[in-house]
Order: sequence, then C-alpha cells, then structure tokens
Amino acid sequence: MVRFLARRLGMALGILALLSVIMYLLLDVAIDPLEELRTDPSPNRDQKIANRIALLDLDKPVWIRYLNWLGRFVQGDFGLAWRSMTPVNHLLTTAIPTSIQLVFASTVIAILLGVTIGVLSALRQYTPFDYAITFVAFLLYSLPIFWVAVLLKQFLAIGLNDYINDPSVNWALVVGLSLLSGLFWLGALGGTVKRRLITFALAFAATFGVLAYALGSGWVQHPRIGVVGVGAVAFATAFAVSALFAGLNNRRALGAAFTTAAFGVLAWFGCQWLFFYVPMNELRLLGLLVAAVLVSLLIGWLWGGPDRAVSMRGAAIVAVATSVMVFIDRVFQGWEQYSASGLIRGRPIATIGAATPGLNGDFWIAQLDKFTHLLLPTIALVMISFASYTRYQRGATLEVLNQDYIRTARAKGLPERLVIVRHALRNALMPLASIVPVDFVAMVGGAVVTETIFSWAGMGSLFVRSLLQGEVDPVMVYVMIVGGLAMVANLIADFLYAVIDPRIRVNA
Amino acid sequence: MSTHDDSTLLPPAGPPATSPGGDDARGRGEGVGEAKEVEGLSQGQIVWGRFIRHKGAIFGLVILISVALLSFVSMGIGPIKGLWKHQDYTRSGTVVDGGRPTLQLPFLPGGGFAIGDHPFGQDSIGSDSFAQVMKGVQTSLLVMVVLGLTALVIGVTIGAIAGYYRGKVDTVLMRFTDLIITLPVLVLGAVLGRLLDVLPVKLDATAAQREAIRSNMPLLLAVVLGMILWTGLARLTRSEFLSLREREFVDSARVAGASDWRIITKHILPNAVGVIIVNVTLLMSVAVTLEAALSFLNFGIKKPNVSLGLLIAENQGAFATRPWLFWWPGLFIILIALSVNFIGDGLRDAFDPRTRKIPSERTMKRAAAKLEAARRPEEETK
Amino acid sequence: MSPEKTTAPVPPKGGPKLGMAEHASLDRFQRLSRTAGAEVKAGDVILEVRDLSVNFWVNDSWFTAAEHMNYDLKAGEVLAIVGESGSGKTQSSMSLIGLLPKNGRATGSAKLKGVELVGLSQAEMREIRGNEISVIFQEPMTALNPVYTVGFQIVETLRTHFLMNPSDAKARAVELMRLVEIPDPEDSFNKFPHQLSGGQRQRIMIAQALACDPKLLIADEPTTALDVTVQAEILKLMRELRTRVNAGIILITHSMGVVADMADRIIVMKDGKVVEQGTAADIFYRPQHPYTKALLEAVPHLGETKIEDGRTDALVKVDEQPLPLEPAKDPSVVPALLLENVDITYPKQGRRPAFRAAHAINLRIEPGEVVGLVGESGSGKTTIGRAAVALLPVSAGRITVCGFDITHATHRDLKPFRKTVGMVFQDPGSSLNPRLPVGESIGEPLLLHEGLRGAELSRRVEDLLDSVELPRSMRNRYPHELSGGQKQRIGVARALALNPKLLVADEPTSALDVSVQARVLKLFSDLQERYGFACLFISHDLAVVEMVSSKIAVMTHGELVEVGATSDIVTYPQHPYTQRLLSAVPVPDPDQQKLRRELRDAIIEREHLVS
Repeated sequence: MVRFLARRLGMALGILALLSVIMYLLLDVAIDPLEELRTDPSPNRDQKIANRIALLDLDKPVWIRYLNWLGRFVQGDFGLAWRSMTPVNHLLTTAIPTSIQLVFASTVIAILLGVTIGVLSALRQYTPFDYAITFVAFLLYSLPIFWVAVLLKQFLAIGLNDYINDPSVNWALVVGLSLLSGLFWLGALGGTVKRRLITFALAFAATFGVLAYALGSGWVQHPRIGVVGVGAVAFATAFAVSALFAGLNNRRALGAAFTTAAFGVLAWFGCQWLFFYVPMNELRLLGLLVAAVLVSLLIGWLWGGPDRAVSMRGAAIVAVATSVMVFIDRVFQGWEQYSASGLIRGRPIATIGAATPGLNGDFWIAQLDKFTHLLLPTIALVMISFASYTRYQRGATLEVLNQDYIRTARAKGLPERLVIVRHALRNALMPLASIVPVDFVAMVGGAVVTETIFSWAGMGSLFVRSLLQGEVDPVMVYVMIVGGLAMVANLIADFLYAVIDPRIRVNA
Repeated sequence: MSTHDDSTLLPPAGPPATSPGGDDARGRGEGVGEAKEVEGLSQGQIVWGRFIRHKGAIFGLVILISVALLSFVSMGIGPIKGLWKHQDYTRSGTVVDGGRPTLQLPFLPGGGFAIGDHPFGQDSIGSDSFAQVMKGVQTSLLVMVVLGLTALVIGVTIGAIAGYYRGKVDTVLMRFTDLIITLPVLVLGAVLGRLLDVLPVKLDATAAQREAIRSNMPLLLAVVLGMILWTGLARLTRSEFLSLREREFVDSARVAGASDWRIITKHILPNAVGVIIVNVTLLMSVAVTLEAALSFLNFGIKKPNVSLGLLIAENQGAFATRPWLFWWPGLFIILIALSVNFIGDGLRDAFDPRTRKIPSERTMKRAAAKLEAARRPEEETK
Repeated sequence: MSPEKTTAPVPPKGGPKLGMAEHASLDRFQRLSRTAGAEVKAGDVILEVRDLSVNFWVNDSWFTAAEHMNYDLKAGEVLAIVGESGSGKTQSSMSLIGLLPKNGRATGSAKLKGVELVGLSQAEMREIRGNEISVIFQEPMTALNPVYTVGFQIVETLRTHFLMNPSDAKARAVELMRLVEIPDPEDSFNKFPHQLSGGQRQRIMIAQALACDPKLLIADEPTTALDVTVQAEILKLMRELRTRVNAGIILITHSMGVVADMADRIIVMKDGKVVEQGTAADIFYRPQHPYTKALLEAVPHLGETKIEDGRTDALVKVDEQPLPLEPAKDPSVVPALLLENVDITYPKQGRRPAFRAAHAINLRIEPGEVVGLVGESGSGKTTIGRAAVALLPVSAGRITVCGFDITHATHRDLKPFRKTVGMVFQDPGSSLNPRLPVGESIGEPLLLHEGLRGAELSRRVEDLLDSVELPRSMRNRYPHELSGGQKQRIGVARALALNPKLLVADEPTSALDVSVQARVLKLFSDLQERYGFACLFISHDLAVVEMVSSKIAVMTHGELVEVGATSDIVTYPQHPYTQRLLSAVPVPDPDQQKLRRELRDAIIEREHLVS
C-alpha cells in the first residue's frame, strides 16, 4: 500500500512538473503584457515598453523565465501580480480558503444529494418519478451556470431579502411547493396505490404545515431552531437511521439511537451555557463533535446486545446529526444581531463577495456571515454537479441490481431493505470513486464562473482577472494549485476505492 | 468516418431470408424475446427502431431541428439572406416602447398571438434582439458541430491507438490524457481563447488577416476547444478497444491475415461506433454551455461576432430594466443543450443491447388479466 | 467493513463438534420466519406441482416459457429437470420462489407441504426463501457478493430467519463450512469470495443453501461453470449431503452425465413442454419420446474406443522431466505442426506479474491427423492453440507449421503462413464480427489472400456455405440472426476458406447444446475426411475429443503429462492426473456411472483433494 501510494505520488509530481512547463509555454503566447501599450498614443510609449520588458524579463528567452519562475516557485515564492505590484503569496492567503470552502461544500452536498436521488431513481426505474428525475437532471446539465447564478441573485436573494423586509405570504407558491413535495415522496417511496396516497397526503401536509408556520409566524424574519427543533431533528434521525440500517425490530439499536437523541437534547442546554462563557473556534467545535461521537459510541456499546456495532454506528450517526443541529441553532441565535447590523441593513442574503467587509462580531456572527455568503454560489455549483452524480449513480445502481449476487441475496430471503442497503448500495458506490476526481476538477472550473459572478475574491476570479490583465505568475500558481488538488482528489479516490473493495485491499 | 460505417449502420433492408435448412431451431434462448425482436433485422435497423420509440429522443430531435430551422430561415446562412426583416443584427434603431418584446403568445400574460416588429425586444441602442439571438443560435450550433467533430477525430484516433497497441504507446498517450484532464476544461479553454485573441497581435498580422481571423473566430474557437474536450472520448474509445480486441472475431481476422489497419477500421471501430456516437452527442451539449461560459467570461467569442453567452454577459447588468435581453438567449441555450442531451440519451438506450423495455406494473396487471382470460376457455375445453 | 462481522467473537475453542445429528440444534433458536407445514420425514411428499406454467410478457404478448408441468417431489429424492437452453427448466423452478423477472408470471399450483407458492406475496415469499426453499446458483464467482466475507454471507442467511446472536450464527456457519469440506473453516470464514477457488465458492453456496435446514433445495446447473474434476468433487459432496439432509432436491442441468450421477427421477423438457418424465432407469434405458432418444444419442459417450490388450504406447510424464517428443513414424514426412520445447510466457502487465502459461511442450501432428488436446481451465491448452497460429509469441523453443518456422517470424513473413492455417473459436457469439454479414466474414480470408472479389468471391462463399450444409441465402445475414450452431458452422466455413493444411479448433462445441454439438461434430468429421487437414482439437471434454481424434495429449498446469493414441489414453490412463480426469467425467448411464463413481470417489479420497 505504501509503495503503491508512493508511486502514485511520484507520478502525480511528474505530471505536475510537465503541466507547469506546458502551461508556462502556452501562457507565454496567450498573455501579452504589452497589450495596452501597443496602442498607447503617449509620446513616451517606447520608454514604457522598455520599462515593462525590463520588469518582466521579456527580453530573456522563455525557458530562462520558466526556470526562474520554477526556482522561485519551489522555494515558496509564487511571484508577483505586477499590475498592482502585489506578491502573489499575499493574494493567495485570502483567495485559497475562500475557494476551497466553496468547492468542498458544493462537492459534498452534490455527492450526498446526487447519490441519494440517483439510487432512488434506479430503484424506481421507468416510473414517472424516474422520468421526472431524468428530466430534471438533463435540464440541470443544460443550464449555463452563469445564467443560473444571475437568476439566483435576482430572484432568490433579492426576493428573500424583500420578503424579510416586507412579509406577505404567497400562498400559491406554498401550495405549489407542498404539492411538489407530496409528489416527490409519493414517487420516491412507491408502493401500493393506498400507500402512495397516504405518503402524498402526509408529505403535502407536513410541507404545507412547516411552510405555513415558517412564513405565517414570522419565522423567516427571526429564524431560530431552539431545543424543540434540535430535539425533533435528533429523534427523526434516530428513527430513520434505525429503520434504514438496523431494522426497527432491532430494539437495542433503536434504543441506542433514541438514548443518543435524548442525550443530545440534554447536551443542548449544557452547550448554551458553554457557548455563552467560552469563546469558540473551529478547533474547539471539532473537539466537541468528537466528544459527542465518543459519548454516542459509549451509549451504543452500553445498549450492547449481540449487534453492538450496529447500535454504535447508529448512535454515532445520530450524534453527528444532533451536534450539527446544535451548532446551527447557536449560529441562528445571532441572526437578530447580524440582521440588524449597520452593514447588513436587514438584507441578510448576500449576493456579492465571500464575507461582509468590516463586519464586527464574534465567532458565531462570522459563521452566520459566511453562511449567508456561501448560500447562493453553493446552490449554483451544486445544481450543476448534482445532475451528473444522479445520472451516474442511477446507472451504477441499475448495473449492480442486475448482478447475480443480488439475486442470491433475494433467494436467501433477505428483506428488500437489506438487499438494497447492504448488498446493492456498497457495490454501487464503488464506481463513484472514479468519477469524483473528474467532477471535482469540473467543480473547480465551475467555481471560476461562480466566483466571477458573485464577485468572490477567490482563486477562480484571480485566475480570470490575471489572465485578462496579462499577469503570468498568479495564473501559474492557480494552475499548479488546481493541478495539485486534482492529484489529491485522485489519490483520495484510489484510497477510498481500496477501502470499499476487498478485491483491491486484500490480496488473494 | 468513412461511408463504410453508415453502410453497416443502415444496410439495405433485404427481405427476411427463409428459415435455414433443418438446423437448430431458433427463437428460444433464456433471454426470451430477444431472438424474436431481432429476427430479420440488421443492427442498424434495430438501433433505429429503438431510437424512434424513445419519446425523449424524438422530442429532442424535433426541438433541435425546429430551433435550427428557425434560426437559418430567419437569419440566412452564409451569403444567403434570411427572411427576417432585420438582417443586420448590429444596426441600431429607434427604441420602441422601451425596447419591450412585441411577441405575444396565448399563454403569456397579455394573451393573443402576435410577432410584431421586435418579438424578443430591443437593446438600449435599438438593435433587434431576435436577430441577435438567432445569429447567436447559429454560432452555438456551429461551435457544437465543429467542436464535436474535432474532438471525435482526436479522441477516437488517440483512444484507438492506445487501446489497440497497448503497452508503451498506451501508457504515453494515457499520461498525456491525464495531463490534460488535470485542469478544468474551462480553465484550459480560457487560456486558449485568450491565446486566439492575442496571437494575431503577437504575430503582427495584417489588417486583412486579422479581419479573417475575427470573422472566423467561432470556427477557430470550436476547433481549439475540440482540442481539449477529446479526453473523455479517448478514454472511452480506449476501453472499448481494449475489450473488443480480446473478442474472438479480432483474433479470427488476425488469423485470416488482416492488417492492423483493417482490423481497427473494419472490425473494431464499427463495433465501438455506438459508444462513440453517444458520447460525441453528449460532448456537443457540453460544448454549447462551455462556449457560452467562455464568451460570458470574455475569453470566447467577441463582437462583432455574436453568441448566446456573449449576449447574456452584455445584458446581465440590464436584468432589472430589460430582462428579455437576458431571458431569450438563456432559453435558447437550454433548448439546444437539452434537446441534444435527450437525443444522446435515446441513442444510448438504442445502442445498448441490454436495454429491454420492462413493462410497468399497470401493463403487467392488464396483461395478467389477458392471460387469465386465455387460460379459462382452455380449461373449459378440457 | 460491516460491524456485524467485527462483533462476532472467536468461536469457543474445543466445543462439541457438531455432526449432522446435532443439526437439530437450530431448534434452540426462535424462528423469525414461519415454517411451511410440519417437519418432514424421508419419503414424505414435500412439493406438489400441478399445471404450473410460466409466461413472459414480451413485446405486448405472452410468451410461454414453460407450461403444464405436473410433478411430485419426495424428501430425500433428487429430481432432475433436463433440457437444452431455452427449454424453460430454470424459469419453471425460479417461479417456485417468486424470483421471475419483472415481466414473468407463473400460473397453476405448486404446494410446499400444503402451502401454495404460486401467487404468494413478496413478503410471505421472503419467509420461504432461504428458509424452506434455497437455491444453489450456477456461477459461484458472481453469485456471492464480492465485498463481504463468505462467513458473513452465511451468517446473514441464518440471522434473517432465526433469532440468533452473532457468535451462535458463526459457530453454525463454521459447522456448515466444515460439513461442505471447506479446508480450515475458521480461517476461511473471514475470507472474501475472490480468495477462494471456484469449487470452494460453490461449496460456500451449498453451505449457505443448507443453513436453515430447507425442505427443498433447487440446484440450478450447480456444476456447469466448474472444471470436470471439481465437478466430480461437488457431485460427490452433494450425493453425501442428500443422504444426510431431509430435503428434496431439484437439479436443473443440461448434462446427461450429471443426471445419471445424481437423479432419482427425471423430467425432460423441450421448448417449455415436458416431453417425458419418469425414474432414472426409465429415462435412460427405456426412453419413449423421440426427443429423449435423440438427446441420449447425441451425448458423446466416453470410453467407446476400448482396447482389450492392456498394452499402451502412450508417453507419460515421470517426475519433473518434461514429456519428450514422440519419435516420428516416417521422418521424411513434414509434420503439419511441430512444437519443440515450447515455453509461452504472458509478460508482466502493470501490477500483474509475468505468467508462464506453457512450459517445455513437445508435440507433433502429422498431416491429416487429428490430435485432441485435453485439459481443464488454466491448463494452458488454449495458449498452445493460439501460439500454433502465431497469435501469441513464443518465449522459448520452436514452432514449425508444415515446415515453416513461425517462432520469430515478423508480421510480413507470416502472410504466406496464414494461408496454411485456420482456426475455429470457442464462442460462436464472439468469433464473428457482429457488424459484418456472415458472407463477408467467410470471404475475408479469400479477399485478403487471393484477392478475390465480386462474382468469383461470391461463388466461393456459396461453395463454402454448401460444404457446411447451410443455405446460400444465409450469406446476407448478420451473426445475431443465427443460432449458436449456425454461427459455429459459419466459423468452420471461414476457417476452411483457404483450404488450410492445419486447423486449430479451440473448444469449438463447448458453448453448444448437446444435440447441436453432435451435428457440428459430425460435420467436422465429414469435412476432415473430405479435405484431409491436420487438426489440433482443443477441448475440456474428453468424450468429445475421443469422438474426433486419433491421438490425445493431456495437459495440466502448463505441461503435457500424457500423450498417446486415443484408445490407449481412454482405456489405460497412466498418469495420475489423466486417471483423475477420466474418472471424473460422468457418463450418461446410471449403472455404469455408479461403477465409475466408486472409482472416482476412491481417487478423490486417495488424493485428499478439496478444490
């Protein structure tokens, strides 16, 4: 394994080196730093040109410039954005985290959503649900991301902000959304006509109720979750996780999940106190999460029984979900303060930038600010990527469902739930490893557009600006970072593949 | 691709041959129904038959043809003038009614049906938006086709060589492919688009040359983008070749003394053609949005050429005042890309021998009733 | 990683060894699925099938896969359902457990101890499957989930139907694995399917099928994907088990030899209809229906070329010495194929290390002679065949075809050589280009070597079609429009197009049904007589090889172990491997097979073989 990884790493470095050569040569042609000077009417034009040539070493052959660049690059000096005379390293300190946040959040959400919907779509092959998902996926494929982004800005952000300032409930929209939700669950869960009607009614009622409450009670203006919301999510997760992975007749797993949920609700009170007295940061939050998972594992272990691991796994999932809810709840507690801030002026959904400049606030306010800024670009990116994951996962699942071992699993008398979750899903996830790196690279490309539209000072917009302005160094750094990320994505995929597939992990 | 492929896809439909002499009954097999379905049909006919039964694909085909017809009939093609009254899409004019679109459709607010002088409205200097969009559609279609063909030639060549010869050649070609897919297509496309822009300046081209380059910019851009979009196709062709070359008919051809060239072109390629066609189609839909995105970012097509992405980029600021300038080009991008996607999906199903129509629950219930009905009289006669 | 597996503790050491008697130990556990009827005793009727039909909804009409089946099955009895592909034997049995494809439907009645199976809801059926009726599938490679350990997959079956904790389930799974003679079951429990051999995987399938003490066991071609020696071991295991478990067994197979080995009663099916049913003796010795007679006649029968003198001239491999070349009968005759100390190595590919597929092969084929090359999968026999037509390079030694040394010949040099050889491939579905009309496939060698075109080419193609007894009109058809047998005839016609001196036939009939195989073999023999080509006939099936060849070479693990006249090899096998191979082949005759079986079981016991 180590040798394998080392070899892959070596290969990746080789490819990166080659990439740098090729891109430098290409950029040497594609970038014209003298562009605007060529048509400069001023009398000292020649002088300006000579200065710039001297500044950028344009009189030296390209390979010398490349070697110079490479020498500096490997020492960690990424060069100069000469138009503003800013060192690239300086630009990167803000650009990299911004972009990575965006791309990672989108990738994770797209994978989760896409895989789930893809599996559902495959299970309901050739039903109206499947056709609808197929149509939506194709539609998303065909959407130009920049067009969507402008629409999101125009309708979602401005519409939502307007609504917050002047609440008037659009009942047609509420009913429409509820209908849509009803139809979705009806199609996704399937079953007999009677069951479908019940599903539809329940989903419709639930959606309608939640929306009506949120809009009618002014929840949207003052969103808060509170202990009730946290508890509801915790217990719902406990139920869903047990039903899906353990089966409801596994009483111990169910007990462990519910105990964890109850514990989570109790922990909420403790956390309020903790968050009030102790200033938080990412590291401490991570520590709390780990603690929560450990406690849940202990709960699962104590419930024990023969299938200890199942109980522990279920409890851990519930713990993570509950912790996330506690976190979100605390973030939303800062909403009033944030929304009323002089810089936000009651229009919290941001359409521009990655953070509100000059916003003063504690850790929680900063999180909220980040969230409101991430919202739109993430939706835009997820929409694009979601489609390909759905289609891909649908195909992979259908492929697996045709395998002999699925027939064997059915012939053993396994409940359909286990046939799908245990036997089909795991095998159907394997091909995903090969598509994630490719899609990740595409996502980085999409981020270029998104960042430009939403005026994020990320790497994508740095790339676009520098390329248009004729600055080689920032573009090269961008190329190297993106290339490096692609390599890392590939390595992770290889690793995951080995984890899932024993044929690779265990030698015969 | 030579005419040969077409001939294998759609050979002349001969009369179904009479039953073979005495040997081996057919129409059996565990895969019940397959034999029945294919009897007396060539592969091409089967594919075509499946394709035209695919509703989505036919829908896509109709939309795509309509869009193409609309744009070519209204704005002409090359030197041939179209029928639309505003042939010069760059000319300014008087802005009528704030440039509002004059198109009225029964289902739009306002109702009734009218085309009017400027169905898609006018921009701030009074140019006709319909003419611009239609011209943009032409650009998109041109880019789509040229890009598809370029990628097809490069991808299939590289994939075929790598897959057929394997070994070192394969390693080198696939490393090269890996290199290209390391960067997002959009990023490489931006660099190359920029390169097309700068190159005439750097080469000190004459005014005439620059003009020639500028007027052929969509074509050049399509070729250049084709040169980076072939990677997926190459990988696919390679894997297809890798598996097909292990098939016994390839060995059989080799034993018969066929040359590599003959084996590649006559034996393997026709069998890989389904996968290739499907993926070129899907590539074409990517091409439409990619060109639009590049033009939007200012790395693609520039004035005086027009493209749908460019139109959106120019007009995004005017969304609040003249939203129609933004809606129509976007709508046409989606129409083109969506219909191409559906055609690709239909082709995929049509070429995939495993696709068999599974009847829906309702059909099965109805069929079961039929079966019961058929059994009953049979039992009574017993 | 599945946590279920990790929690399973180490089984109690030194616990009581469970034999079949303690199988009742399942009674300790509460059933999660209901049982169908009472306990069975040997001789009880457990399955009553009446007027069972299976139909498929294809292209808006019902297609009948099986109809009007009537039979009873008693506990402890083996009922064989025999038929060629498409006879409906598999689907009729799958309908018993509701595992038909979505467009399939069963009608009629099938009662398991009084419980009606046809029309049972999926939820009710789920309690029957794996619990009361279990299935052994054909492909052990694909029928086990590759990402879970085999132990887990057995435990899973148990815990679906019984309230058991993991350690009890594991103990029983290990016991079951011991029962099916998996070596070192505690260790194998944690192995993944890919770490086991094909035979072991099939044993796991059997263990899994037996897990819940089912009343009915459906074995769908359980040995078809296995080598003949492995098949023999699995058959031996199944015979032993049938006496120990109180289940009825439905054995679905196309092989009359397997039927003769196992079956008490037999149902013969053709095109969805039962043509004959009766006891094994009835069917084999007093067949009534013409189809049954034809079927039995078509099966090649091993051991028909008996010699009585007990003397053999065969060359036998002794110790590590490679088998030497036979002395030529007439040194002046140029052999059609001569292999001298041939080594063939597949080069290293990626992480897969280099693999020597054939080692120190010495073999001579005289002009006009048919030599059978016999071996099991992975023995290297196909490698030899491919090297003989220069499809594979030779890493050491020398191959000469009709005096032409092809060992180091370049692509260009080989052109004249190509005219002297032809090859018939194993899979008729894959050996013809699906995109070319078969006439073009047949004509390709003529076009390439003789430059024939137009009317002349067309006349020759028609002649060739005549010679393989196919109508001339067939030349315009595409391969998918032909049946397997027809495709293989086309393959033969193509191989003979240039009138070669040497024909290499690689398993030419193994993908065909027996009745088709018989006709193709007959055609082959006729053509060989007419054209007088020499032939290397590669097959895993000794009976087929015996029919067509005058000399047999036996190969295993990349080496020849015995070469001699057909009658010598078949009657007096010398090398232990040859003996084992011969004894493993089941013959379509219950009485004779009984004798052979005893011999076979003795050999298996002697060599302590567990594949």
